[in-house]
Amino acid sequence: MKAKPFLVAVPAALALALAGCGGSTGNNTDTGSGTNASSAPKDCSSEDVFCIGLVTDTGSVDDKSFNQAAWEGVKAMEGDGIQTKYIETKDAKDYASNLKQFTDQKYDAIVTVGFLMTEATRTAAAANTTTKFIGVDQFQESDVANVTGLVFPEANAGYAAGYLAGLLTKTNKIGVVLGQEIPPTQNYAKGYEQGSKAANPKISVAKVYHPAGDNAFSDSPWGAGEAKKMLAQGADIIFGAGGGTGNGALGEVAKSKGAGESLYCIGVDLDQWDTVPEAHPCLVTSAEKKLTDGTTTLLKQAKDGSIKGGNFNGKTGLAAYHDFDSKIPAEVKTKVADVVKGIEDGSVKVA
Amino acid sequence: MQWVQHNKIWAGAAALILIGAYAFYFVNSNIAVSMFSYAWFLAVPLVLGAMVGVMGERSGVVNIGIEGQMLVGAFAGFFAAAATQSVVIGVIAGALSGIAMGAFLAFSTVVGQLDQIIAGVVINIVATGITSFYFESGKTIPRGLPNFDVPLLSDIPLIGPVFFSDGPIALFALIIAFTLHFMLFKTRWGLRTRAVGEYPSAADTAGINVVALRLFNVTVAGTLAGLAGTYLSMEATSTFERNMSSGRGFLALAILIFGAWRPLRALAAALFFGFMQSLASQLQASDVVNIPQQFINLLPYVLTLVVLAAAAGRVRAPGAVGQPFVKGD
Amino acid sequence: MADPDLPPAKDAPAPATEPAPTDTGAAVPVVAERGATPPPTGVLGILVRHQAIVVPILAVVLAFAIGAILIRAQGFNPTYAYEVLFTHSFATESGLLATMQKTTPLILVGLAVAIPLKVGLFNIGGQGQLMAGGIGAAWASYALRDLPAALIVVVAVVVAVLLGAMWASIAALLKTTRGVHEVISTIMLNSIAVGLIDWLVNGGPLSDKGQPFPTSHAVPEGARLLPFLKLIPWGLPVALLLSVVVAWMLKRTTLGFELQTVGRNKFAAGYAGIGTTKATLVAMALSGGLAGLAGAFELLQIEPYRYQNGIAGSLGFDGITIALLARGNPLGTIPAAVLVGAMRAGAPTLQFQLGIRPEVVDVLLAITLLMVSLPVIAKLIFRRHATKQTQLAGSWGA
Repeated sequence: MKAKPFLVAVPAALALALAGCGGSTGNNTDTGSGTNASSAPKDCSSEDVFCIGLVTDTGSVDDKSFNQAAWEGVKAMEGDGIQTKYIETKDAKDYASNLKQFTDQKYDAIVTVGFLMTEATRTAAAANTTTKFIGVDQFQESDVANVTGLVFPEANAGYAAGYLAGLLTKTNKIGVVLGQEIPPTQNYAKGYEQGSKAANPKISVAKVYHPAGDNAFSDSPWGAGEAKKMLAQGADIIFGAGGGTGNGALGEVAKSKGAGESLYCIGVDLDQWDTVPEAHPCLVTSAEKKLTDGTTTLLKQAKDGSIKGGNFNGKTGLAAYHDFDSKIPAEVKTKVADVVKGIEDGSVKVA
Repeated sequence: MQWVQHNKIWAGAAALILIGAYAFYFVNSNIAVSMFSYAWFLAVPLVLGAMVGVMGERSGVVNIGIEGQMLVGAFAGFFAAAATQSVVIGVIAGALSGIAMGAFLAFSTVVGQLDQIIAGVVINIVATGITSFYFESGKTIPRGLPNFDVPLLSDIPLIGPVFFSDGPIALFALIIAFTLHFMLFKTRWGLRTRAVGEYPSAADTAGINVVALRLFNVTVAGTLAGLAGTYLSMEATSTFERNMSSGRGFLALAILIFGAWRPLRALAAALFFGFMQSLASQLQASDVVNIPQQFINLLPYVLTLVVLAAAAGRVRAPGAVGQPFVKGD
Repeated sequence: MADPDLPPAKDAPAPATEPAPTDTGAAVPVVAERGATPPPTGVLGILVRHQAIVVPILAVVLAFAIGAILIRAQGFNPTYAYEVLFTHSFATESGLLATMQKTTPLILVGLAVAIPLKVGLFNIGGQGQLMAGGIGAAWASYALRDLPAALIVVVAVVVAVLLGAMWASIAALLKTTRGVHEVISTIMLNSIAVGLIDWLVNGGPLSDKGQPFPTSHAVPEGARLLPFLKLIPWGLPVALLLSVVVAWMLKRTTLGFELQTVGRNKFAAGYAGIGTTKATLVAMALSGGLAGLAGAFELLQIEPYRYQNGIAGSLGFDGITIALLARGNPLGTIPAAVLVGAMRAGAPTLQFQLGIRPEVVDVLLAITLLMVSLPVIAKLIFRRHATKQTQLAGSWGA
């Protein structure tokens, strides 16, 4: 058998092809990761520089969902004397060591995203008492002076979305496509069911959680298929609540006949009008956690020193109706606005 | 009819399932159609993936890189379509990326004597790496591949709306399963492929160019994997997510074995698996049973094992699968 | 070394990093092929005899050179990137600890794939087996929380090993009694483990209801395996020892001989009175036990000391990569796991300091695997003196 030297060329060519690819699409300096590279490192222990770090859970800062929202909250702080940086966690066991990268550099404030980091954040806080920690979606059972849990009553946002869906549905059937069954998705679903029943007692809600696994929030084809089945069984409003999985559901509704006329979809977490453009034909609103605002608010407090430990209740609500503003009957809008107000002042009870 | 006589159990099972499906259809046509449609929706990438496996393994080349090939297909298809705003170009790009991955597998293993499992694993790792690395958020494609009705066929009750009112790639998957089955068992190419997969040295002696046939089959099979990916990002959805293949390539591998390396049986296996998933989803959504959803969602996996265990009888992989062919070895 | 007619593969002693084919079956035809040309002497001779080490090292260097092109294309300085990556992984206290913590399970899951490969079985189920072990350790350590810490650790580890072995044995039994291909059953069992465990910790009997998120109870503080001398995770020496034990078992014991014989030729083994059934059951149980042990260490020696989402990561599949990098050699899993562990441990720093996305490590890893495995590399250097590699994929058709 002869040696075939030309075969080394195969991987080499592969590498070059990749490299070439990089040349054309490698300008991701403006999508986020570049902000990491471009910032000349400053000395975070100095008084003049306020350094903010962010550690994602096992998602990325461009996930069109809560990691992205939190990172946007950090970026909103950018300006003179502020340095921002993030690490995207690839392995859930790296939370502690990723946090350590920031604390070793004496960062002033560190945002950690996702409830899975609750304990890692509290442990790091105990070891670095001068650093302020902000834990997104991390409910604090007991107060630690330098940890603030930014928590959201997702059920309230879900309730408002469900209430709107209950008023809009013609078929009295609506659906919700969720990611993995975890507290935030459970709360959205609970609120959604309750709100829709409050608006329309005859309604039935089809609810599906993704069958767990690492892909529970990135399985858009699954979300699309579930939405398709729900639509075929008569549902006319689908609430997609589960990152990429939910976005798949939104996209499916948007593609279906009657999207925006008789079929609608509702987004989640962010105003998905901005992040999921393919859902425009059906996206009436999004059940929003004001994550970006909440993060920025807390970071401002951290900067001026007024931040307190414990839990900070972020705002929830419905995003703007955008193109559907004119299509939704005025009386529906008033009713929904009343309910949103009622949730805020406590006159509407959400379990 | 000869087939029925030779495959009494299969024919019986098929008849029973068909009767059951139509009984369901006449009880509640809406639910039946939606559930079977969803089953097929989920089965399409598994069918295409399993066909990739059939073409490779029947000619003696294991492909565990189907997952990676799919992911790259989804990626290339979506971003090509986004860049050019043309869905057609997207599909072509997805298929071409599949060919490229297929060619890598083919040349590295058949000519370069690289271990076939290693080649597949390399594809999988590279695929997750580069598709995450070069992923760009915020891109959109004009509109996914549209569904259309096939004239006449789409009017058949149940079967029509389920199989003949979908997008082009789903229809292609159905056609390719039948075509491949016919070609594998009724044509000269099929005979040669099977010979090469079972006894490559005997095939070689008989004058078949083993290396060329393997290269051809594995490379062409890559197209199907690319299309399976394109199905995910451009027909089932109109978006790309990191890791959106979600293990479907590995499931396809399981379906291939479930289907005993035969295209039509793999199609049936994929439909079975898809239907179990569809059933689990229906049970979960309708709240008829009050048990945790995690248990309901185990249904497809547990039942697959049960069916396989019950069916017993060792199915045998093609004899030379995994073995490199060296002339005169 | 006296007999020049012996093939190099047999001549070479088995040093710690040798991923050489130990299967004489593969080496036999080489003898016939090479009879005419005696191996070269001098420096080249040494290189040829140790090519099992030389080739992988050269391959890794080559892979990193190709990786450098990629990093360059991204607009980063490759030398600096590699420096940052490996300085962190090996030359900082926390980085080195992380490297060793990641190496531990990688060695074990690598072995969990390598052993069945010897018997001709392809275990894709490392993930599920590891998860079973992890949840077993979580359950045992919490259930026994009032006992002395040392006892908790021992029982937790034993339970994890048993559960992992049990999970793998389901696939083995399905294979031996019903002829179900292990690839399909282990894929299904992975998904079943994911679902079951999600239920267990997410409202089920093992969930810690005192926490606002789904998780198991924490391992009691005393039973947490804090790094030995603050530097070495307890699991690492255990994993190292086990890879040596497995290598010894395969090479020197009757059981090892039986397993390898079955792997090489089932029918011949049958004639020799060696049962395929026994080999399948033993290999899978050992494999599952090792994966389960990896799960136990993931739980006992790493924060958050709880079983929660994402703890298992993709370790089961990493095991395949490790076993392949090691070319199925148990001792080879050590350098393979160290390399992968170091790259994974350094990836976050790469992003922190340079802003390179952590996936670059995956791409590097794939190129490395390709380079290490391509027979062409050895052939280019050693021409006709290159040893033939064992085919791992040959185990597929069964």
